[in-house]
Amino acid sequence: MTTPHLQTKTQGRRAAVLAAFLMVQSIAVVFFIGDVIAEVMEDPTGTQSLFEAFTAIALLSGVVFGTLSLRAALVRIRTQDAALATASGALADVIAAQFDDWALTPAERDVGFLALKGLDVAEIATLRKAAAGTVRAQLTRIYAKAGVSGRAQFAAYFVEDLLTAALPTAAVPLAHTGETQAHLASPRSSR
Amino acid sequence: MAQQQAATPPALWDPLVRLSHWGLAAVVLANALVTEGGHAVHIWIGWTGMALLLIRLGWGLFGATEARFSAFPPNPWAALSHLADLVAGKPRTYASHNPAGAMMAYALWGTLAVVIGTGLWMAPISPLTAARQEAAVASGDWSTLVQTDEGAEGDKEGEEGIAKDIHELAANLMLVLAFLHVAGVIIESRSMRRNLVTPMLLGAKAEKQDV
Repeated sequence: MTTPHLQTKTQGRRAAVLAAFLMVQSIAVVFFIGDVIAEVMEDPTGTQSLFEAFTAIALLSGVVFGTLSLRAALVRIRTQDAALATASGALADVIAAQFDDWALTPAERDVGFLALKGLDVAEIATLRKAAAGTVRAQLTRIYAKAGVSGRAQFAAYFVEDLLTAALPTAAVPLAHTGETQAHLASPRSSR
Repeated sequence: MAQQQAATPPALWDPLVRLSHWGLAAVVLANALVTEGGHAVHIWIGWTGMALLLIRLGWGLFGATEARFSAFPPNPWAALSHLADLVAGKPRTYASHNPAGAMMAYALWGTLAVVIGTGLWMAPISPLTAARQEAAVASGDWSTLVQTDEGAEGDKEGEEGIAKDIHELAANLMLVLAFLHVAGVIIESRSMRRNLVTPMLLGAKAEKQDV
């Protein structure tokens, strides 16, 4: 969870640097354009004033594009934050759907969520103003409905779903090392 | 409108809003209280202020969502009803500046534009040009000193008197508005139990509260 947050933070810092450059640039542009206007009014056809007008337009378009790219960067940061929020919301949805599937009672759902958040029996009991024995009994019923052996397996049930996508990539190099070596070996042997 | 009222302002304003805000605050304080009117330093700082104001206004048209004028349109009636809510002790929250804050932003920008405009009226030459012309005069080329329309001399002096009066009046109004702005931020922060200054600085405290 911390990595994406840190990522948007560094991006935010980069956007701040971009904004600071933009401010300095626009100050320089205003001074320069003020000078160019004065010069063009003095001598409208001079080559120097033409060249300076061209430079002023180039500087100005730099500021315009800087502004647009700053906006794009800010939009990107916001989209990533929203995606992160959606992802954590989606996990909550998955858990809720699974609880529906196991037909947990409202009380069991609450206890189940708190257990997944890492609270121990005593903490859940104080939060729900219930006896520790009641909470322990509720947990036992939840584990029975879910068909898991205990708390660790119960938590792992949801983590496992998240890891299935990542597992193959981690497993592939190990599983295929023999094959890869065989592939590598064959051209060598043919030489 | 209903959506706007449900939303909360950003925990941290975008960097361009923050930099232009504090930059303009520094420019106003420096030129109103420290530098002397008509001096080169005063004019340099004034031109810097013009650049900051221009880029903030450009950002208001093409910038990030909450920074755009469309996010906080000038609406005096909404501003009054927000002040009434504030007096009643139940202010609502908005996605951008609250309506009263928005009116203050427009008033500050408008007054600043008048100050800058009259400043340009009195000293129409950019400090860069002035430096260039001074260098030319120093090197013996006096052509820049030649007046093109000599007959308008008297008129110009009368005009500059008006410009100077407006410039000083608007500058004083600017300071009064800035004082009201700071007072408004303090009252609003107290009433909403939310610090309105940190989103304009680094937002560090707001982030810590989130974690």
